[in-house]
Amino acid sequence: MKKLLLTFCILWMISSCTEEKVDAPFIFDNPEIAINIPADFPEVNDSFFTNKPTKYGVELGKKLFFDKKLSRDNTVSCATCHIQENAFADQNPKGIGIDGKIGFRNTPPIQNLAFMQVYNWDGNKTALENQVLVPIITPEEMDSSILEVIGKISNDATYIELFHKTFGDDTITGERIFNSIAQFEYTLISANSKYDKVKRKEGAIFTDNEAQGYQVFKNKCANCHSTELFTDQSFRNIGFPVNPNSEEKGRTRVSLNAKDLMSFRVPTLRNIAYTAPYGSFGQFATLKEVLDYLDKGVIESDNLDPILKDNNNRIPLTEKEKENLISFMKTLSDLEFITE
Amino acid sequence: MNNLKKYLFLSIISLAIISCEDDSIPVANNVTLAFNNTFGNTTIVLGDATSTEATQNTSSENQVHHFSEAKYIISNIRLINKDGIEFPYNVNNLDTGATIIDQSNPSTLQYVLNGIPSTEYTQIKFGLGVKAALNTLDQELFPAFYSADKKLHWFWATGYRFTKIEGFYGETNTPLSVHTGSVLGGDKTDETTWSSEAAHARNAYRDITLDLTTNAKVGENAPKINIKADFNKVLSGTNKITLNAATEGYVSGSAPSHHTSPETMVQFVDNMGGNGDTDITGMFSIESVEN
Repeated sequence: MKKLLLTFCILWMISSCTEEKVDAPFIFDNPEIAINIPADFPEVNDSFFTNKPTKYGVELGKKLFFDKKLSRDNTVSCATCHIQENAFADQNPKGIGIDGKIGFRNTPPIQNLAFMQVYNWDGNKTALENQVLVPIITPEEMDSSILEVIGKISNDATYIELFHKTFGDDTITGERIFNSIAQFEYTLISANSKYDKVKRKEGAIFTDNEAQGYQVFKNKCANCHSTELFTDQSFRNIGFPVNPNSEEKGRTRVSLNAKDLMSFRVPTLRNIAYTAPYGSFGQFATLKEVLDYLDKGVIESDNLDPILKDNNNRIPLTEKEKENLISFMKTLSDLEFITE
Repeated sequence: MNNLKKYLFLSIISLAIISCEDDSIPVANNVTLAFNNTFGNTTIVLGDATSTEATQNTSSENQVHHFSEAKYIISNIRLINKDGIEFPYNVNNLDTGATIIDQSNPSTLQYVLNGIPSTEYTQIKFGLGVKAALNTLDQELFPAFYSADKKLHWFWATGYRFTKIEGFYGETNTPLSVHTGSVLGGDKTDETTWSSEAAHARNAYRDITLDLTTNAKVGENAPKINIKADFNKVLSGTNKITLNAATEGYVSGSAPSHHTSPETMVQFVDNMGGNGDTDITGMFSIESVEN
């Protein structure tokens, strides 16, 4: 039976050859790529399982991530604000988009996002795929629209080939763009800092300062900056100076709950040395400024985090402790992540 | 889907019956929804901060105010006939079944429903805002509605602003701003997750039900339903809202005035769109039906 079929197929191919040119048959082969999940990292986001990184999906997502065509006037790409050497954040207090327009908040780094359950400062998105459209349409970021983007890339042979290889046909849709960029972002995993190498006993050891800083960290910071991501992903008001933009409500914008006013997601400390300035609108230029502020005392409010309330609205730190803490935080820098 | 099929089936049957009666009656005709945006019985005149033309209104809490902008989305329109059969009008298509009412643009104040089956209608239902399942700023699905007014995009939530009011209040004409829309909450594909109190606050979509004062007789006639939207209710509806000066540092519970504080958004939403339970009309009422 199989032979018969094969003969038929061959005959058909030969006969059709006389009439038209036959392209090499397209074989859809877009394997999932292996993602090394670092030991002790938290659970991955559910969305990851429905959009697992594939060989060509990641390649396509990366190309889109660096493509300025995603903006109205072709001047801004994702990578404009998410710069690899800054752990895919940037060095501006607030994001700077099209026409030099200044955004609302500090650009968050893009790292270990597969392990996050909530995204952005206020957790307005819970799936990475749903976040991609936001900068594309926001007037202070790319000020474009998904049909505009599709229109611009749909005549590009490289894109057509990549969509074909990724999805099995040439169709370019918003969903495919969102999924492939998310796939690329899922692959951005940082877990090769000195801290990791010490933990994994790969020969690295902390200096005295770093070791003492680690002790201070465990005593005074690890309640919030917990897990191997150095964030418990909770929303807290820690009494930082308030963004003068009256739109700023913190987590309340999403939860509509007054108890969340000026609460923000605890930021990760991984690669923190690369992501200055700090705070939701970049209100601190250096890590030292952040620690000085926490030591001196924060803004009182009804919903100030209980940990601060119970400690007279401050985290007392000696100058030596601050110095050691900063040394420790620098062991969270992952040089491979920002260069490779 | 089953419901839809049922309605379609019934409407076809009733159409068949109606059309059998007299061949001269068309099987369908237009219905025009005409919106009159008022403070009480006075149609609103918009104006900037110091305008002398703008309609002034005084809230129940004695705050004098006027608007410079008033926009809202109407979608999910359904007409109910005297037999209780509901005729959905492109309820799953924002391009053909939703519209933005903009007080500054008279042509938007009338929305024509095309091809409404000939029968006698007693009730109208519509949504203030966009129901959760469609509220995703999807330009590929609904390019026309998406592009109709980008000021009604709530970018960060990738949904629409359902109402947008700008204006001024008090002796010094302090700016006021009421923006409502749905934010993250519940599963957008599962309406049952939108029923809790917290979800109610986050889902700013409201279903409005209005009994027609006179039956709208569609057939030879193309009726016009005049709907009043009384914006006095924005501040003085079920919830009596006082606009306060913004508080430094946003102490918990404060309500910054010139922009609606989110924790009070549900109060504005319920004032305009009802609470979906004891109040299913909100600020809307039927002024008249012209057959």
